[in-house]
Amino acid sequence: MRLNPQTIKQWRRFRRIKRGYYSLIVLIALLIMTLLAELLVNSRAIVVKYDGEYYFPTYADFHPGRTFGLDYAYETNYRELEAEFERQRGSDAGVPDSGNWLLLPPIPFNPYETDFRDDAFPPYAPSLEHRHYLGTDIAGRDILARLVYGFRLAMSFAVILLACNYFIGIAIGCAMGFFGGIFDLLFQRLIEIWSNVPFLYVIMIVASVIVPNFWTLVLVMVIFGWMGMTWYMRTSTYKEKAREYVAAARALGASNSRIVFRHIMPNAISIIVTFIPFSVATGVTALTALDYLGFGLPPPTPSWGELLAQGTANLQSPWIVTSVVVAMTVVLLMVAYIGEAIREAFDPKQFTYYE
Amino acid sequence: MQKLMLLPALLLIACGQESPDATSDSADEIVLLEETHLVENPPTYESEPLPAGLVWVTNSADPVFASPNAKRGGTFSTYMLSFPLTLRMIGPDSNGGFASVLRPNHMMGLVDLHPNTLNFIPVLASEWAFHPDGKTVSYRINPDAEWSDGTPLTADDFLFSWDFARSEHTLAPFYQDYFGDVITKLTKHDDHTISITGATAKPENELLYEYSIWPTPRHFHKLDANWVQDYNWRVEPNLGPYQVSRVEKGRFIEFTRKDDWWGDGLRYMQHRFNPSTVRYTVIRDMNVAWEYFLRGEIDAFAVIMPNYWHEKAVGEPFDKGWIQRIKFYTDTPQPSQGMWLNMDDPTLADRNVRLGLAHAMNLDRMLETLLRGDYERLKQHYEGYWDYTNPDIGPRPFDLDMANSYFDAAGWGQRGPDGIRVNNGQRLALSVVYGSQEHTPRLVLLREEAKKAGVELNLQLMDSSAYFKQILEKKHQIAWMAWSPGLIPTFWQHYHSDNAHIAQTNNITNTDDPEVDALIDAYREATDKESRVRLAHEIQQKIYEIGMFIPMYKVPYTREAYWRWLKLPEHYANRTTDAIFSPMTEALFWIDEAVKAETLQARSEGRAFEPVYIEDTTWRVQ
Repeated sequence: MRLNPQTIKQWRRFRRIKRGYYSLIVLIALLIMTLLAELLVNSRAIVVKYDGEYYFPTYADFHPGRTFGLDYAYETNYRELEAEFERQRGSDAGVPDSGNWLLLPPIPFNPYETDFRDDAFPPYAPSLEHRHYLGTDIAGRDILARLVYGFRLAMSFAVILLACNYFIGIAIGCAMGFFGGIFDLLFQRLIEIWSNVPFLYVIMIVASVIVPNFWTLVLVMVIFGWMGMTWYMRTSTYKEKAREYVAAARALGASNSRIVFRHIMPNAISIIVTFIPFSVATGVTALTALDYLGFGLPPPTPSWGELLAQGTANLQSPWIVTSVVVAMTVVLLMVAYIGEAIREAFDPKQFTYYE
Repeated sequence: MQKLMLLPALLLIACGQESPDATSDSADEIVLLEETHLVENPPTYESEPLPAGLVWVTNSADPVFASPNAKRGGTFSTYMLSFPLTLRMIGPDSNGGFASVLRPNHMMGLVDLHPNTLNFIPVLASEWAFHPDGKTVSYRINPDAEWSDGTPLTADDFLFSWDFARSEHTLAPFYQDYFGDVITKLTKHDDHTISITGATAKPENELLYEYSIWPTPRHFHKLDANWVQDYNWRVEPNLGPYQVSRVEKGRFIEFTRKDDWWGDGLRYMQHRFNPSTVRYTVIRDMNVAWEYFLRGEIDAFAVIMPNYWHEKAVGEPFDKGWIQRIKFYTDTPQPSQGMWLNMDDPTLADRNVRLGLAHAMNLDRMLETLLRGDYERLKQHYEGYWDYTNPDIGPRPFDLDMANSYFDAAGWGQRGPDGIRVNNGQRLALSVVYGSQEHTPRLVLLREEAKKAGVELNLQLMDSSAYFKQILEKKHQIAWMAWSPGLIPTFWQHYHSDNAHIAQTNNITNTDDPEVDALIDAYREATDKESRVRLAHEIQQKIYEIGMFIPMYKVPYTREAYWRWLKLPEHYANRTTDAIFSPMTEALFWIDEAVKAETLQARSEGRAFEPVYIEDTTWRVQ
């Protein structure tokens, strides 16, 4: 692939802005890690060796406890199995080592399971001994596990939302700018009216009638969120349309779609790129806010908003609210740094005489 | 006692209309009683002769239940989470949380239940007599009873309630049905005698309980098209011990004790309602209210929830004895908290699935861990109804072997790749609809444990009105909810086929069983207590066998934290006490000003008293 020299230049400029560049690296690393979250944060073992056979439960069908010599038909509790293997090794000193072992993920809890102790009541404070590194919430679920899976969900929500919003926004915005006239006028008024629908109330109404799931939430957010992008695309299309190269293309007999997709769009794209990080941040905060208010994803879906709500209602267990606030601040800060860096990198004015 | 008050069980259902806009400014102002211009010619009603041969009864033999040591005086401060939308008793928005504070003073009943003996005791009526038709009761109204403005209470005030509630201007559809369908006739015999006739014959104590009415001050209400608006903020004269005396909208409502209340002469009212002033301040968050309580600006705080009791009600003020705690066991019908299985659902139509599900609910674990052993397992729908409760019914225990065998028998023997049972390609996944965020951890725990039995519970948290709508339209699979208890079990509404398969009835399990129907019909027709008790036991046994209700937990006590200047009688509270420091209902406590001064002094000096924790098991049911 040959990159446009302009793009290469922008990328170099972006890399020079260290804050944004490192934020991007860290964020991408985090995203890749959360895609592999099942291997890192999970109640299922990564690998079990039992009676000479290897098992890889992470992505496989469930193994009932009987598979590993436990006395139940439901899914094996691998933490107990680990303790069991440990015990066998300890007690059967005379017997030859069975060679059974297993490897648990570093955080051996899934975000749904409730983990109770006999001597205390949840929420449990952070503890290395019990491997709840950030403690548990009021239902006894591991906070770190819920943060990780909640992050994955919030990021995918934001990215899908962004893709849908931009697709519709760009298409309509471009069309408005390109065709102009009645079409433009009509859509301008339509968007103005549509933008005034109080979107939060609509979400509340929807959430009270149906239990929203991931896709209904995306749908509702898209229905009320696509308008933002249209204005920018409309203006820049108007601007590009008046340029000579468009007139030249038209003179050569290029079709409307060729002009829009091959000539106008690539020139208008920079404006879109600079908006992306901020739209991601909006998506994450929107989902968190809805979950916080109880209009978001249904329980027990791991969610930052739900953790935040729990945390603020249980200030006497400060680890809940601290974890989620810190996580949220760090992620949003990184996104903001990236956005800032992109904006600067794409800015055509590198110098100003007035500074 | 609040639970057993004659009216609330019925009244709390009436709700949910939209409030008309208060357009004029004048309708928005608070009008205290002194400023009210009363109606000049209130309506009067014709008398009919009283049938001869009635036997009048009353009750002056039961023990009094308040303390003669009680002192009158002081201000009791408490809080409300939101300001009421109106001060009216009926009509739009009148059924909010504050109604439970206003109604005991305004909608007083003719008789009430004795909180310990459960016999009826006189309130507005001094005597009552049962008619031979089995559905009419006559009452002699206490001639001493008078409204706050000094107007005597007469039979006309009771008859006016009928016209008032049924008026098109009051916008109260629930009461429009109540007067007419439930109560079929009101008769005035003379100024102090009335008769109430209900729709069906019932045993005597149920007649008193179920066909109850309250008087309405007919000299106060001018019924016209503007009534709803005009009366939003007018303080109505009442018959109770307290009258609203100061209101600041959005901030507080203050009540003043009547100095010469007519009811002070009644045997069972003596030494009650002791604070001179009761002030309800708006504090919109419970956590904040708790902080006010710790500062002594609120006198008492109900701490039923385990996290408050164990995490918050500890530390210096408790260790140094400034704030005391009491846990008081009561013996009273319990709300039926549990899972209601909709038997119209194809999966739940199978009894084996229902019983398997019941054995897959790890209630003990929930009670021991999340609820810290504070709540107890509910045995069945009708628990705590004294004689009427079948003592042989217990809950189905968490038992994976039993659950497995029931599910296997129902054809759900195979487990899918995720460990959830499958049958012909369908997963054994059931949705549970519930309406309170507070309950999420409990359901999360049950869900995780149920997975072991191979059944998945999908949690559907809904906004409370949508939640009720879905359940009443029978669109749920499993409903997580509780019915508030009455005084006597009612089966027809919950289990009779008359109410099955149709929307907006209380048969949310769609129980449709000819045997159950026959038993319920017999129960409704029986008028002697013995056969009704026997039939009630049989019906409860059938309900258990069908297994459409999985009982969850109950809280058979009340728990409160209170500053040490609040004093209680020697027996603390009564068998049916709902809230010990509820100033408008039972109200046995009093304020000791000397102790208050001493305690505040001690707190500023950091001086300690003996810490007090009372656990009273007098009325504990084993």
